[in-house]
Amino acid sequence: MSSDIITTDQLSKFYGSILGIHEVSIKVPPGGVGFLGPNGAGKTTLIRTLLGIIRPTKGTAHVLGYNIKSEINQVRDRIGYIPEFNTSFIPDMTAMKFVAFCGRMNGLANAESKQRASDSLYYVGLGEERYRKLGTFSLGMKQKVKLASALVHDPDIIIADEPTNGLDPTGRNQMLDLIKNLQIDQNKHVILSSHLLRDVEQTTDYAIVFSEGEILAQGKIKELTSGQRTSISVKVKFNEDLFIRNLKDKGYEVWDEGGFIEVKISSDTEKAIFNAAYTAGTEIRYFGSRSNTLEDVFVDLFQNKEGIK
Amino acid sequence: MSDQSTKNDAYVRKFSFRPFTGLRRGRIFRMWSISWQWWIHEWDRSRAIKVLIGFQIFILFLTNIFVLTFKDIQLQADPTLTTGQILEDTLIPLVRGIVSFQTRIRGESAGHGDEFGTSFSIGGTSLFILLLAVLVGSGLIADDITNKTNEIYYSKLEKYEYIMGKFGAFFIFGNVMITLPYVLEFFLLYIGLGNMDFLAVLPVLVHVILFTELVNITYAAIILAFSSLTGRRLYAGLTTFMLLFLANMIVPSLAFAQGGEVGLQLLTDVLTLLLVSSYLLDGESIIRLDLLGREHTLNLANGIGIEGWMIIGSLGLFIFLGISIVILQVYRRHSA
Repeated sequence: MSSDIITTDQLSKFYGSILGIHEVSIKVPPGGVGFLGPNGAGKTTLIRTLLGIIRPTKGTAHVLGYNIKSEINQVRDRIGYIPEFNTSFIPDMTAMKFVAFCGRMNGLANAESKQRASDSLYYVGLGEERYRKLGTFSLGMKQKVKLASALVHDPDIIIADEPTNGLDPTGRNQMLDLIKNLQIDQNKHVILSSHLLRDVEQTTDYAIVFSEGEILAQGKIKELTSGQRTSISVKVKFNEDLFIRNLKDKGYEVWDEGGFIEVKISSDTEKAIFNAAYTAGTEIRYFGSRSNTLEDVFVDLFQNKEGIK
Repeated sequence: MSDQSTKNDAYVRKFSFRPFTGLRRGRIFRMWSISWQWWIHEWDRSRAIKVLIGFQIFILFLTNIFVLTFKDIQLQADPTLTTGQILEDTLIPLVRGIVSFQTRIRGESAGHGDEFGTSFSIGGTSLFILLLAVLVGSGLIADDITNKTNEIYYSKLEKYEYIMGKFGAFFIFGNVMITLPYVLEFFLLYIGLGNMDFLAVLPVLVHVILFTELVNITYAAIILAFSSLTGRRLYAGLTTFMLLFLANMIVPSLAFAQGGEVGLQLLTDVLTLLLVSSYLLDGESIIRLDLLGREHTLNLANGIGIEGWMIIGSLGLFIFLGISIVILQVYRRHSA
């Protein structure tokens, strides 16, 4: 049996003639997974389809082995969802009542929903404020209430859709910290959907890249970022300008980035760098390949896609 | 503020969660949760609900005193009259008055006479009930759209469960504010008047329950339909109130303008459909209409014609339209 927590097969959703997602086939492994892509790429559409909020036009999907068409209620009980929208909730209801109410909607008995609401609010750091009305909460606190309401029914998977939207740096770090810790402390599978590369890189180790309703790439972040060495980073002492000119004369693409001289890899680049240094009388103090960030991968993928178009 | 304090977060996280039993309740419990949560929340929040229910009980208390005081005089004046008839003549107009402002404003009863002066008593409450129903009910779906909480509901429940939960919410309101006071009134009169066979007056109780439930369903369908059409509680409430209020006023105004008598109730009056349908429920067959000065008689139970079915159809149409709008909005617009 597959260990993947979510599998989709040719899943498509059209809103009339407007494309939401197109023949998306993915396998989401356990642990932390990032759904990455610009706004309108189809991340939220996929999430809403998996939760049964919208019906797919075509294709099938399974969450923890449950079919989203025929067993959607089992799916819902096993997913905790943090919606993207900046909800105001029910302004004059206390956080405690709201989270307990969410628990009851997932089938928890009254007493247990209250217990777990209290635990969830403590977990997200709102224990002291749990009897305050939601209307008096800051945006960061509201996001935490959303997380608490997603945790209250003890789901196996937490899906957080743009959970750091609108948060200040402190609130953002706290939220990412909580999401990261859910994987470690509570053994939850976390899907973080974001257009912010840093958020995904910080909290997950697997990424699925979306663009215009399709999957551009998927894989472990380490593999995605180490797969392609695009340039060699060099740090030199003495005659730096001459060293650069020598390389450029030989037809190499050279640029400065963060105090390093970057040389785009082509044929015999390493050999050319040492020759240029020897000719210019330059000492090489650092020589290494620049490791790609997720941002580099992301930019490359989109540039390639534009190129194909 | 807690979102500024990571130290506190680390402290609380040490406690983690109490183990989950893994037991989950059924779907009906979940729908009921929506209904009950809304009602409790509104009860806690709204002073108007408490004031109105207090007013209702006070009015019913006054009505009882009035009826019981004049009971002996009525029985002496008409030896054929029974306490059961007094109960019926008191309660039925009261119940029918729920849906008709014009009856109350004009001081007319709904057909059983006004001998006991009961129409004054509950008159004001019919308007209050509608006002409050609109005030409270118009936010049922509109607030979810405004606050975007519907996404949270839909991620936990089927959409039909959400709709049922919302209908249930209004139904609790209707039962507490409308049905319960009249059922209570029945028992108070039954005990106070005495000397009657319970089985003989049971149809009156059945009438009270069925009629008020019909009111609840129709109010729920209309109010929820408007609530689902907009994200603004105020707009939904105002539109609903205007529709229901004008529907009660248009025909009598026309009749008055043309010098006609407004007799009993008029079929074009939206909520009067409920009133007319009540004749079907208690088996009273003849309805006299004086529409724009031209008198009509409908016999709903003589097996001739389709008047009865027309009324049931009209009533059903309103409920059907209301529910259809809610379903369309929830399944289409709110899910796009």
